[in-house]
Amino acid sequence: MIRRLLLAVPVLLGVVFVVMLTIDYLPGDAVTLMLGEHATKDAVAKLREHLGLDKPFLVRYLDYVGRVARGDLGRSIQQNRPVAAELADAWPATLELTVAALVIATVAGIAAGVASAVWPNSLFDGLARLGSLFGLSMPIFWTGLVLIVVFSLWLNWLPVGGAGSLIHLVLPAVTLALPSVAMIARMTRSAVLDVLREDYVRTARAKGVGEFLVLARHALRNAFIPILTLLGLQSGQLMGGAVLTETVFAWPGLGRLMVKAIFARDYILLQGAVLVFALAFVIINLIVDLSYGLLDPRIGRQG
Amino acid sequence: MRSRVSRMLIGLLVLGLAVTLVPPVDAQKRGGTLTIVRPTDPVSLDPNLETTAPGAWVYFNMLEGLLTLDEKMQVKPALATSYEVMSPTKVRFKLRPGVKFHDGTPFNAAAVKFTFDRALKGSPPARWASLAGSLEGAEVVDDLTVDIVTREPYGPILRTLAMYCMGMVSPTAVQKMGADFSRAPVGTGPFKFVEWKTNTHVIIERNPDYWGDKALVDRVIFKVVPEEGARMIALQTGDADMVLFPSPAQLPALRKDPKFTVHETTGIRVVFAGLHAGQPPLDDVRVRQALLHAVDRKAILDNIMEGSAGPARGVLAPGVFGYKDMQLERLYPFDRARAKALLGQAGWMPGPDGVMTKGGQRLSLSWLAARGRYPKDGEITEAIQAMFKEVGVEAKVQILEWAAVFQQVRGATLNHHMFTLGWVTSNADADYSLYALFHSKQVPPTGWNTSRYANPKVDALVEQARRSLNQTEREKLYGEVQDIIAKEMVWIPVYTTKEIIAARAAVKGFNIHPVEYNLTLSKTWLEK
Repeated sequence: MIRRLLLAVPVLLGVVFVVMLTIDYLPGDAVTLMLGEHATKDAVAKLREHLGLDKPFLVRYLDYVGRVARGDLGRSIQQNRPVAAELADAWPATLELTVAALVIATVAGIAAGVASAVWPNSLFDGLARLGSLFGLSMPIFWTGLVLIVVFSLWLNWLPVGGAGSLIHLVLPAVTLALPSVAMIARMTRSAVLDVLREDYVRTARAKGVGEFLVLARHALRNAFIPILTLLGLQSGQLMGGAVLTETVFAWPGLGRLMVKAIFARDYILLQGAVLVFALAFVIINLIVDLSYGLLDPRIGRQG
Repeated sequence: MRSRVSRMLIGLLVLGLAVTLVPPVDAQKRGGTLTIVRPTDPVSLDPNLETTAPGAWVYFNMLEGLLTLDEKMQVKPALATSYEVMSPTKVRFKLRPGVKFHDGTPFNAAAVKFTFDRALKGSPPARWASLAGSLEGAEVVDDLTVDIVTREPYGPILRTLAMYCMGMVSPTAVQKMGADFSRAPVGTGPFKFVEWKTNTHVIIERNPDYWGDKALVDRVIFKVVPEEGARMIALQTGDADMVLFPSPAQLPALRKDPKFTVHETTGIRVVFAGLHAGQPPLDDVRVRQALLHAVDRKAILDNIMEGSAGPARGVLAPGVFGYKDMQLERLYPFDRARAKALLGQAGWMPGPDGVMTKGGQRLSLSWLAARGRYPKDGEITEAIQAMFKEVGVEAKVQILEWAAVFQQVRGATLNHHMFTLGWVTSNADADYSLYALFHSKQVPPTGWNTSRYANPKVDALVEQARRSLNQTEREKLYGEVQDIIAKEMVWIPVYTTKEIIAARAAVKGFNIHPVEYNLTLSKTWLEK
C-alpha cells in the first residue's frame, strides 16, 4: 500500500514534466495574452521577469517541483491568487459531479446489463443494446444541449445550468454518465452471460438455489472483476468528460478551470489542475486494485 | 507663469454638475434582482489586474473615475467636478465633496494619488498602464484638489482618465485587504460588492449612500454560462434577465418577439484584414489598392455578419474622437476589372493557372487568422480568400488558435503577408490607434504597426496631435492623417463591431454603450 503510494511520486513528476514541456512548446504566451493587444514591450518584459518566465525550461521545472514538494503550488498568473485556493474552490464541484455520474453509471449500467444477460435477445435486450450504442456514439456536449432543451426549455423541470442544489446536479450528472452507462451495461451483459454458462452456476441451480440468489451471489460476484476494472477506467473518462459537461452546464469545477488556464496559457494554474487530476487517477486505481482482493480472495496482496 | 501658460492653452473649462433628467414616460420601479449571464468569469475585479470585459462589466458599476464617457461618447464629470489646464503636462481637477467609499473612507485628493501611485508605480504596474500613454501620476494640492501630471504634453489625457479602468480605489481597503482586494473591491460607485463565487457568479448590491442618483435594482447577479446555446435558453426560461454576447443567429427571432428587447449600438472596434506593406508584393500601393477593389464588403456584411456588425468606414470607428469618414465606398468600390487593371499596372499578368505572375513569381499571399476571437473572423477571412481568387490572387490561409496568432503578430518579424485582426480604440481617442498602428517607429514589439506602414508625414502629424492640448487642432490633424492613409491603405477594413445585448422586455432604463466595457446598470429597473 505504502509502496504503491510512493510509486505515485515518479508518475506525478513525469506528468508535470510532460505538461510543462507541452506548454513550453505551445504557441502563445501567458504574458502577452494577459496584458492584451495594447501592452508595451517594456511592460511585457517586466512581467515576464516578475513571473520568472525568462528562465530556461529545466530551471523552471526544478523550481516548480521544489516548491510543490514544500506544499506551495504557486500563484495563478491571471488572477494572482494562490493556485491551492483556486483548486480548493473547484475540486469539490468536480468530485460531486463525477461521483454522482459514477453512481448513476454503475447502478443503471449494471441493472441494464444484468437484465440483458438474463433475458438475452429479448425486446429489452435489443432496446438496451441500441440505447448503449447511442449513448456511446453521441458526444457529451450534444446530449447535454438536447437534455437542456427538453428538460429546461420545454418541460421547465430543471435549471439550465449552474450549481447549488441537488436539482442542479441532475442534468450534468446524467449527461456525463450516459456513455459510461452504455459501456458498463455492455460489459456487464457479456460478463454475466459468461458466468451463467459456468459449471458452478449449473451446480447452484441444481442444488435448488433460487434464480435471484444465483444471480446475486454466484454470477454477479464473479462477473464483478472485469466490471470493476472498467469502473476504474471509466472514472478517468468521467473526469475527462467533466471538462465538456462543466462547460455546457456552467458547472464551476476543475474542468472549466483547466480550460480557462489553457486558453490564457496560465501554466502555473494548469499544472496545479493537472496534478490534481493525476493524483485522483492514481488514487482511484489504487482503490480498484485493493478491492480486487476483497471480491476475490485468490487475488493476493502482492502489490 | 501660471497665467501665461493658461493663456497659451485652452483655459478654464467647467464641466458642470451632472444633472440627470429622468424621462417621465415610464414610472420607474425600485427593487428586484437583475440576473445577467455572460460567457466567462472575471480574471479579477481590480482594474490593476483586469482590463478585459468580464471583469470590467462588474467593477465599472462599483468603481468610478474622475471622469466618465457617456453613451454619446462625450466626456462627463464623475468624481471630479471641473478641471483647469495648468501647463502642457499638468491638469488640475476639483473633486466632488462629501463622497465616501463603500467602507466609509472619505474620497479625497490623497485617494486619487494613492490610486495612481498603486497603478503606475507598483511592481508590476497595472495592466492598464500601457493604455495610459504618458500619464505620470497625481499630486495632492489640497484635500479636494489634485493635479494630474504627464511625462510629456499628452492630448488624449481627458479621454484616458475617462476610461473604464480608471476607477478610484479605497486606500484603507487596499491596505487592509492586500491581495484579496482583487476579489472584493471597494470604490465609490452606485453598487457595492457582495460575493464572488469563482466560475459561478458575482453579486453586487445597491449602494444606499451613493452621492448621485441611486441605483434602482437591489441586486445584480452576474452568472457564468459558457455555452452560447445555454445562455440563450436561460433568457427564454427566465433564468436570466439579460444576456451579454448573445448568439447572433437567434437575434432576428428575438427582435420580433415582444417578450424581449435587443439593445444594440455601433461599437468602437474595427475588424480588418491587415496587409504587410513592408515587403513585396504588398509594398506596392497599387497591389494593395487592387486588393481593396477585389473585396465585396457589402456582401460580407449582408451574408456573413447578418446585421450583427456595421460597415467599416475607415480605420477608426465613428464614435472615436478624431474619426473622419474615409469614404472607402467612393475610393475603393467593389470592382474586379479595376482590381485587375491595377495589378496589370504593377506588372502582374495572368499565369497558366489563373493566378497572376510577375517575373516567374506567383501572386500568392500567406495569411494568418484566428477563428472566434472576433465575430466571424474565420468566415470573413475565407470569404475574402475566395474573392481574391476571382482577380487572380491566391491566398494561403492559416487559421490558428488566437493565442498563437497573437504571439506571431506581436513578434518583431512577421512571416505572413496578411493577418485578420480587430482593433478597439480603448480610450476613444484617435491617438490611441493612429499613433500605435501607423507611426513608423511603432512596429511590433514596440507598438502595433503590424502593417509596417511608414510615412514621415503621418509620423509628424500624429506626434503633433499627441502633444497638442487643443482638441479642435487635434481633430483637424487626425483628419489629415486619415486622408493620407486612405490613399495608401494598408488594411482592408471589413466591419465595425456592434455592441449587442439581449434582455427581457421587462428590463427598462438600460442604455447600451458603444464601449463594450462600460456596462452601466444604475439606471436600469425591472418592470415586474
